[in-house]
Amino acid sequence: MALMPKRVKHRKSQRGRIKGNATRGNRVVFGDFGLQVMQGGWISAQTIEAGRIAAQQYLRNEGRLYVRMFPHKPVTSIPLETRMGKGKGEPEYWAAVVKPGNVIFEIGGVTEAAARMCFGRLAHKMPVKVRFLKRRTV
Amino acid sequence: MTFVMRSLMAESLAVELRDQCGTADNRRLRRAGKVPAVLYGHGLENVNLTVSAEALAATLRHGTRLVNLAGAVEESAFIRELQWDTWGTHVLHVDFTRISLDEEVEVTVSIELRGEAPGVREGGVVEQFIHDVEIACPAGSIPEKLRVNINQLKLEEKLTLAQLELPPGTRLLADDLEAVVVHCKQPAEETEETPAEAAPGEPEVIGAKKEEADEEE
Repeated sequence: MALMPKRVKHRKSQRGRIKGNATRGNRVVFGDFGLQVMQGGWISAQTIEAGRIAAQQYLRNEGRLYVRMFPHKPVTSIPLETRMGKGKGEPEYWAAVVKPGNVIFEIGGVTEAAARMCFGRLAHKMPVKVRFLKRRTV
Repeated sequence: MTFVMRSLMAESLAVELRDQCGTADNRRLRRAGKVPAVLYGHGLENVNLTVSAEALAATLRHGTRLVNLAGAVEESAFIRELQWDTWGTHVLHVDFTRISLDEEVEVTVSIELRGEAPGVREGGVVEQFIHDVEIACPAGSIPEKLRVNINQLKLEEKLTLAQLELPPGTRLLADDLEAVVVHCKQPAEETEETPAEAAPGEPEVIGAKKEEADEEE
């Protein structure tokens, strides 16, 4: 089942804008290798789940996968063949807003080659450009 | 557990004096392949410097934290802090502190796991919880990494910070010595890992029920 918040303050939100690069959440923190987004965008809960399953199936209980984004944003849509107006549409799905530079997935406990292969499969599912990242100490 | 360590030799780094400060000047420097830096410590005046980005990248690649500054300033320095860009590829600024080799420094060192745990052959997964640890040691003997041998880590066994063997003259600066560094555990079931399993169709709206109750009254 796809991720979504348990409790929210408002059912619907405005679209917002993605400005600038990520200044937080842009380093590998939990694992040894990470997947960093190169473009800003919305990643839906279904896409996150698809990526998680793709990675998990490759890892097969070796190592640990960390998902470092959460779909906080409700995305609404108006049904087809509906006249404009009559208020905002109903929430359709939930999405995570990512900025360029955000690390969205991390892997620990596997070799670099395995992590690259795993992220290669995962990257196919992502709607934004991503790249492989290693942990940095200093 | 045995720990193999190698302390790092100081590398030489050519520096130039920098008389310009501010965002625009520093951006100009970076475009020219240089990195702005500052040298401070020992109660002496701060000195603004520039370092070649290429030389600095090579020094960092070797894992060195101690450098011998040469050129405009000739003294030993410790790389205290680095500012990186969003992508973690370019250094934006470096902080050097003056240092003597017998002086004690506080430094963050990464923990590297070596070997294969026997617990993995029994179906376990090795999970590392602490990747970096802060230590205090003489500046002349900063270890590159703390290499932890996990060749004897069986299933459901763990290693704590207290069990780390450190080189002489080095002490841990952690508050909780019982913190788990590495754990070999049975992997969680796939069904347990599935997040938000029992989530309803739509999340609860905070305050929505309250309003309805108020209306009824």
